[in-house]
Amino acid sequence: MTEDEIRKEQAIIERSKNDPQAFGELYEKYFERIFNYIFRQTDDEELTDDLCSQTFVNALNNLGKYEFRGFPFSAWLYKIAGNEVNKHYRKNKGKKIFSIEELKVRELVEQTAADWDEELINRLIHYMNELPTDMIQVLELRFFEDKDFKEIAFILDMTESGAKMRTYRALDKLRTNFNLKVKYDG
Amino acid sequence: MGKHEIRLRRQRLTARGSERFRNYGAVLKQYGEERRMKIITRIFTFIFLILALVLVFIVVSRWEKKQTVPEKKTSQTEQVYEIKQVV
Repeated sequence: MTEDEIRKEQAIIERSKNDPQAFGELYEKYFERIFNYIFRQTDDEELTDDLCSQTFVNALNNLGKYEFRGFPFSAWLYKIAGNEVNKHYRKNKGKKIFSIEELKVRELVEQTAADWDEELINRLIHYMNELPTDMIQVLELRFFEDKDFKEIAFILDMTESGAKMRTYRALDKLRTNFNLKVKYDG
Repeated sequence: MGKHEIRLRRQRLTARGSERFRNYGAVLKQYGEERRMKIITRIFTFIFLILALVLVFIVVSRWEKKQTVPEKKTSQTEQVYEIKQVV
């Protein structure tokens, strides 16, 4: 995001504090990303619709408390969305779902099509099911939402080094357990 | 097993999939309702606090009255006793 874009976004936020209608511009901009982020954690369109609406309502309700801390406004929305999803699972005591795209997993492990078979996919899913949930959350934000570690730390309320450590630990396991070449950036 | 379940989706999420749920009007409506409820809750809390304060004031003033009345009585009986002794 360029500085000019951030300035424009801040101007909209300031206007929205007095005029909720103005917030519509930010809703239109971020709706799809937030919807997909929630959908990946629920795998249920109707539920995602409810949680997504609540995310934006909460954002409007707390807009007065929002202050720019060097992150794009979307990071704040991701944080609210994550809290809404967690609240839902706490209330319903269900198992958290991570619905991930096969294509993204392929990108993550950089495998050639020939090496990619059903058995490997099943083993990978089994392995990911065994990982701690907070590790999956970091992996999801890093590789499926393309967030940098600073933003991940803000969204998940943790330190940047903690986010890095969790990611590298998970990827190290992936490399050693599956002998795969993993996209290892950051 | 962890506390989560990984599901693999063959298809990528598309903009078209989420488009039918995009409705800022509904978000504004919900926001308005929540705001109204917040204001009503605040008013009720304020009224409740005022009532509680009035109640505390009444209870304290009654208690004070009760404390002062027996003191007066004893002083009167003491006075009568003193007069009787003098007589």
